[in-house]
Amino acid sequence: MSDPQRPGLLRPTVFVAALVLFASVSPARGQTDPRDIIERIDRLLRGDSSRALATMEVVTEHWERQMTMEIWSLGTDYTLVRLRAPAKEAGTATLMAKDNIWNYLPKVDRTIKIPSSMMGGAWMGSHFTNDDLVQESQMIDVYDVAVAFDGERDGVMVWELRLTPKPEAAVVWGHLEFLVRQDDHVPLWAKYYDEDGELARTMEYSEFREFGGRLVPAVMNMQPADKPGERTTIRYEELEFDIDVDPSFFSLRTLQRGR
Amino acid sequence: MRSPAPVRTFGGLKLSFAESPWLHIGWRNLGRNRKRTVLTALGLAVGFFAVVFIVGWSQGIMVEMVENATSLVNGQIEIHAADYRPERSLYDTIGGRAGTDVDALLRTIDADPSVVAAAPRVYAGGLISTGQATLAGMFMGIDPERELTLSRFLDPLVEGRMPEPGRNELLIGEEMARQLSARLDDELVVVASGADGSMANDLFTLVGVFRTGLAELDGSFAVMPLGDLQTLLVLAPSRIHEIAVATTDPWIAETTAAGLDDVLSSSDRAIEIVPWTTLNPAMVDYVALGEAMYFLIIIVVFSIAIFGVANTMVMATYERRREFAVMLALGATPRAVGTVVLHEAVALGVVSLVLGAVMTFPLMVWFHTAPPDMSWAIGDVTIMGALLSPSLRVEYDVPFWIVSAMALFVTTILASLLPAWRAARVPPADTLSGL
Amino acid sequence: MTPTRPRLLHVRIIVVLAMRNLRRQMRRTMLTAAVMVIGGALLVFSFAVSDGSHEDWIDSGIRTSTGHLTIEQPDFRLSRKIEDRLATDVRWETERALASPEIAQHVVAVSSRLSISALASSAAGARPAQVLAVDPVAEARFSTLDDQVVEGRYLEPDDRLAAYIGVGLAASLELRLGSRLVVQAQGTDQEIAAQLLRVVGIFRSGVPEVDQTVVHIPLQTAGEWLGSAHDVTNVGVVLRDSTAVAVVAAHLEHALVDPIERGDARVMGWREANPALAAAIAIDSFGNYLIFGILFIIIAFGIVNTVLMSVLHRHREFGVLQALGLTPGQTGTIVLVEGLTLTAVSGFIGVTLGLLATWYFIGDGLDMSALMGEDMTFSGVVIDPVMVPQFRLVRIVQILTFILFIGAVASIYPALRAAKIDVAESMKFER
Repeated sequence: MSDPQRPGLLRPTVFVAALVLFASVSPARGQTDPRDIIERIDRLLRGDSSRALATMEVVTEHWERQMTMEIWSLGTDYTLVRLRAPAKEAGTATLMAKDNIWNYLPKVDRTIKIPSSMMGGAWMGSHFTNDDLVQESQMIDVYDVAVAFDGERDGVMVWELRLTPKPEAAVVWGHLEFLVRQDDHVPLWAKYYDEDGELARTMEYSEFREFGGRLVPAVMNMQPADKPGERTTIRYEELEFDIDVDPSFFSLRTLQRGR
Repeated sequence: MRSPAPVRTFGGLKLSFAESPWLHIGWRNLGRNRKRTVLTALGLAVGFFAVVFIVGWSQGIMVEMVENATSLVNGQIEIHAADYRPERSLYDTIGGRAGTDVDALLRTIDADPSVVAAAPRVYAGGLISTGQATLAGMFMGIDPERELTLSRFLDPLVEGRMPEPGRNELLIGEEMARQLSARLDDELVVVASGADGSMANDLFTLVGVFRTGLAELDGSFAVMPLGDLQTLLVLAPSRIHEIAVATTDPWIAETTAAGLDDVLSSSDRAIEIVPWTTLNPAMVDYVALGEAMYFLIIIVVFSIAIFGVANTMVMATYERRREFAVMLALGATPRAVGTVVLHEAVALGVVSLVLGAVMTFPLMVWFHTAPPDMSWAIGDVTIMGALLSPSLRVEYDVPFWIVSAMALFVTTILASLLPAWRAARVPPADTLSGL
Repeated sequence: MTPTRPRLLHVRIIVVLAMRNLRRQMRRTMLTAAVMVIGGALLVFSFAVSDGSHEDWIDSGIRTSTGHLTIEQPDFRLSRKIEDRLATDVRWETERALASPEIAQHVVAVSSRLSISALASSAAGARPAQVLAVDPVAEARFSTLDDQVVEGRYLEPDDRLAAYIGVGLAASLELRLGSRLVVQAQGTDQEIAAQLLRVVGIFRSGVPEVDQTVVHIPLQTAGEWLGSAHDVTNVGVVLRDSTAVAVVAAHLEHALVDPIERGDARVMGWREANPALAAAIAIDSFGNYLIFGILFIIIAFGIVNTVLMSVLHRHREFGVLQALGLTPGQTGTIVLVEGLTLTAVSGFIGVTLGLLATWYFIGDGLDMSALMGEDMTFSGVVIDPVMVPQFRLVRIVQILTFILFIGAVASIYPALRAAKIDVAESMKFER
């Protein structure tokens, strides 16, 4: 029996991480040390809170889907995701609070607690895996960063950063590659490789906009390498940082309330 | 003058068989030494009983094992889309995306005379939750009526009743019920990935609990009506994953599968029709092992039975040498003596086998139709993944019975004739004086 | 004459007469004896093979499970949660108790393990896994999984981040030797923790579930990963022979009386831990008893026949004996002695033959692989086609007693007949 498709359990730290990670600092600060870039971004992430409204489009071999969701997060411990569309599933919500995960299902008006050992497969049927999401530690602690290329590509000055897992880091990737624009530190893509050096998936960033004073890629597209026809695209409609929210917000009541 | 009936010559006298003095003497001899006759006959009868019963019981175990491996849940033949196995993807329904005319397919299968039952199934993986406790589960959508004719695990249920279509009712295994602490009429949340990618979820009422005895099934399977599962998964009614088929005899599954293949594959569906022997080759090997084993047992039991019988016959005949000597002295030929003994042996054989039949067959019939259950003493066992309920169940094997009867008959005759022949060749005077 | 002497004299007479009769009817005696010899030999050999193969099943079964005996926290079996583990001090106490010289002769292997459900991920995906954290040396002695290597090697004492996985998991997660593997589970602090591992060996057990989910890692790695230090979830013991279970269990319960009373530990035997295996053995034994029960009924008939025949042919002789002063009881006793002697001697010879056959096969065993093939499973345990018979004194005693019992029962009726002979009537007979 193959692994059953498990509906998503959520810890979208990667979204927040991804977008905040590459949220650029004001271009005036011309830092060229890649470690510093990443370190600063990590620091930005810690203790940060955010609220986002995003649409996610998933294309697979068998179906295509669009979802609109609202995402709140506080640090790395608390996240709440609520679906706004499609109408059939509006109100479906997932709460992650300190390693406990609950799903609220509006159709049946029930909340189920999901043991973390049951996390597996794709989140919400997308190409993001829970492996991405259970990122307890900071990137800088887990990867060694080096500049692999410093120069011009397509008329733009870029760095190609190569992130190699530190010894004994609990990550599944062989190495990661990021392409970052030099002038505004905006990421163009991230590639994930397995240990044999084979590309497993590519994350592309585009449509950079200002949200809450930061330049952020509004569109992120995840492309699995082994299934060229499939993809997951996330588009941020709204994004706020440093919102006024505390841990008590991330509760079952909020989960079930629908607002 | 020739009499029209077949005639035998006895000591120069032309007499018909029924009139022959030797048959009378033979019968009377038996009657004269009642005890010896009875004891010998009993010995023979017990030997016959032993052989028949032991073989019947071994065969019973084999049959039960095969039945459990096949009729408990899976049926003797499984029909899937050609690429369904081994990944068992939700999307690989029979007939692909378009599905198939399920009713027509079932009707065609039912039409095959060696098919006893056919039932459609839909499978999907997901989660079952009481809210507090959540388990990963495998959902199985069935047609309740058809399923009951095919598999046995839903009848009897440990508690509750079969789910009715359209009412979001389901059954779960005993172990799952225990782990979820779920009771009848509880509402369970069922979550799965829909065929359109949506997160399918719904409330189902627990209306029954089943028990297969196999931990994997009892701990992870949930059964509901086919239509309800299709609705949940956003699958069209024409899309099913499997048709399970039961044949009249597990051992004709391969032939039936081939026959069905001819009939069904002709359309533009790519399907595979797999008999249980292909799905579970280890079981086939095990049955072969069992047969080899009880072949050994037959030989052993037979040998002992025959040896015991022969022993008795030889002894009895030997002890009558004085009697034979008298007959010889009176003018019988050695051949005549042999004939008497032959008739005795035949008569004895008949008596013994009748006795043996009386001892054996009522017991066989009883143990075949209502085998006493031994699980109070032993508990249930799984062999090769098939559940075995220890019971004294026996199978009929008429050819074997006939062979056994004949073997014992032949032994009786040979074992009494040979020493008789030898004894009859000794000059009567020697025998008579030697005592 | 003193009171004892007549009795002694009579005993001698009885025995002499019984023996003489047996000798006289040599042919008959031999034939009946022959059947009993074969029956006895078969019985001994068959039960020896059966006992031996049962012991093998148990050994295989418990080595893939938790041993002849396992010591765990009482709630662990049902809950399977890391909270229900054996505290380090209880573990040490248990290990000390198992090392004690009193039971050292019985103990073959001891392995302390931490068992936990986890999620295993690689670049290719994620799968549920059952992680077993072990001490490589102890575990290698305990389990057979280390011998089922297909690629690479089993864990070694110096390994830190090593993982030993099955072919099924390797296929699902596209892992090879040296591949990265990350396992995640809830640690002792209730937080999810992840641990990097590298595949050092791949096994094939033949049991699909095991090949798809079982992962062995070093115990100290688990300690760091989950914050469980030296705690374990169970201590398993493999004994030399399953008959030693009671003795060792008693010893353990005595040594661990404090933790047991506190509710921190429990000693469980293999029958409780592996009920399916226990049932399988019971069924097989039952089959054996059934077959031999029936066989011996046949043999018993043969004996009755023989002894009875001899009685019926010695009417006159018994009459004369009784006329000479033997009581009916003593006459009957002669017959009884005859029957018993016949049975006992032939039974004894048969048992000896059976023992010889057992001894012959005890070295390499009976190779049934031509019949059985290599992949048989019974109650989830893979069966070795080579059956090594086992000698058990208890069995032999059981068998001898049974044979004597059969002999006695078979001789009762003839003995009664002999006793009831009418002296005057018997004189009419020739013999």
